[in-house]
Amino acid sequence: MRRRVLLNVGVPILSLLIVLGVWQLIVVGGHVASYIAPRPREAITSVTSQWSTLWPLILGTIRETIYGYLIGAVLGFALGVVMAKIPVVQRLVYPVILVSQAVPVIALAPVLVIILGFGIVPKIVIVTWIVFFPVTVNVLDGLGHVDPDLKNLARVYGASRWRTFVQIEVPASTTPLFSGLKIGAIYAVTGAIIGELAASEGNSLALYQEHANSNLNTAAVYGTTIVMTLIGIAWFLLVVGLEVWSTPWQRRSVARRRWRRGADGAAR
Amino acid sequence: MPTTLLELREVGKVFGDTVALAPTSLAIEEGSFVAIVGPSGCGKSTMFNVIAGLLRPDGGEVALRGATITASTGHVGYMLQKDLLVPWRTVEDNITMATRLTRRVTDEDRAEARRVARQYGLGEFLRHYPSALSGGMRQRVAFMRTLVTHQELLLLDEPFGALDAQTRLEMQEWLLQVWKDTGRTVLFITHDVDESIFLSDRIVVMSPRPGRVVADLANPLSRPRGIHTLLEPEFIALKAQVLGLLHGGDA
Repeated sequence: MRRRVLLNVGVPILSLLIVLGVWQLIVVGGHVASYIAPRPREAITSVTSQWSTLWPLILGTIRETIYGYLIGAVLGFALGVVMAKIPVVQRLVYPVILVSQAVPVIALAPVLVIILGFGIVPKIVIVTWIVFFPVTVNVLDGLGHVDPDLKNLARVYGASRWRTFVQIEVPASTTPLFSGLKIGAIYAVTGAIIGELAASEGNSLALYQEHANSNLNTAAVYGTTIVMTLIGIAWFLLVVGLEVWSTPWQRRSVARRRWRRGADGAAR
Repeated sequence: MPTTLLELREVGKVFGDTVALAPTSLAIEEGSFVAIVGPSGCGKSTMFNVIAGLLRPDGGEVALRGATITASTGHVGYMLQKDLLVPWRTVEDNITMATRLTRRVTDEDRAEARRVARQYGLGEFLRHYPSALSGGMRQRVAFMRTLVTHQELLLLDEPFGALDAQTRLEMQEWLLQVWKDTGRTVLFITHDVDESIFLSDRIVVMSPRPGRVVADLANPLSRPRGIHTLLEPEFIALKAQVLGLLHGGDA
């Protein structure tokens, strides 16, 4: 157990430290000017010293990411289900969602601003736009690959389509579903930042970075990038945590004790 | 006079140009253990899927206790070579899976699942996930899931086909024990002649192109059966007869 924790937590931290070390080595060893690349410590200090200014902006980005992600995940799942169940819908909708993803999001942003203004809505729309696609594709794929024998077994038992869906098809698709959710989680922050770049009025993490850039405050540019990255990683890890929590059978051989109402639990 | 539980009347099925099952009539008595033996392509699985209600026959009728169940599901227990346990449910919850697919699982259902599992040697594994079980244990869980559907007729399609010889023999003896305890009617598909003789009261021999019944033999072997059964002269004689039917009389 301890060994596993060491492997799962220690090794990723180690690899990040190596990246920071290499960065330090290049900047110091290569005599890179600090306006081109700061040392890691300078980048980090630029964030901590401006924390009270940055924190509300970070919260703003997180909010856009969460709202957009949740809407995108739900929409993506629903779309995947409807497309998997109704072939006509799949044929009609698939080209449209493919085109939607071929549109460069960065080009789409100004259009959304024209339609939706400068508030939080266009950012949420962009995050949703990016997140739903991997979820839909993976759900569609997952539902399409449920063992037909298992579905037949449900039929022989006299199961309704709804119960077959809930009890068999959805749980059988959890692995691809979470693949989609994880890909979406990593891209969600990118979407929020693109939205902020195109549709902000001076009060966002992306614009903070732009100001730092125009003031030749390279350390802050790097520092802000690190912050954005950390938001993305945190969100990704949260989704991974949700996957681990909701799929115990993939790691355990014996189920945890279940908290069930009534006398049943006591009878064990 | 024994009661007929299942009756097929002139049931046939054609896929494209292939006659998967020529019009076939068959009556299965209540409480009996009937083996259906034949090579692949003889229509035995087609016949099963018709009885289970998964396939609509081109003609004929399937009746359970006299009431027609042609092309309708929910009337039989059903088990395949693939155990079809769901990896996300524990042994206990896999046993109650059939119930969960039709209605809410009650405390009584769970209690019954636990009782059956304890009775047949899986009481220690109720909270295990299927991934922790051996092939033989998984098939036992699958059979218990079939058992607690409370269907009178159990359709078993090569349930032990993927097991090693040793485990298979254990499972066959185990199945006979459960069958004796519960008094269900079993229709058992296999391509293994020894298995069909060891288990059954009656052997239906099928042949391909077109899939059809070529013989319907009573099995005279006494019960209880064990390893000794495999060496009895009656066993050998019956085996020679069935092999002869399967290989066109050149055995």
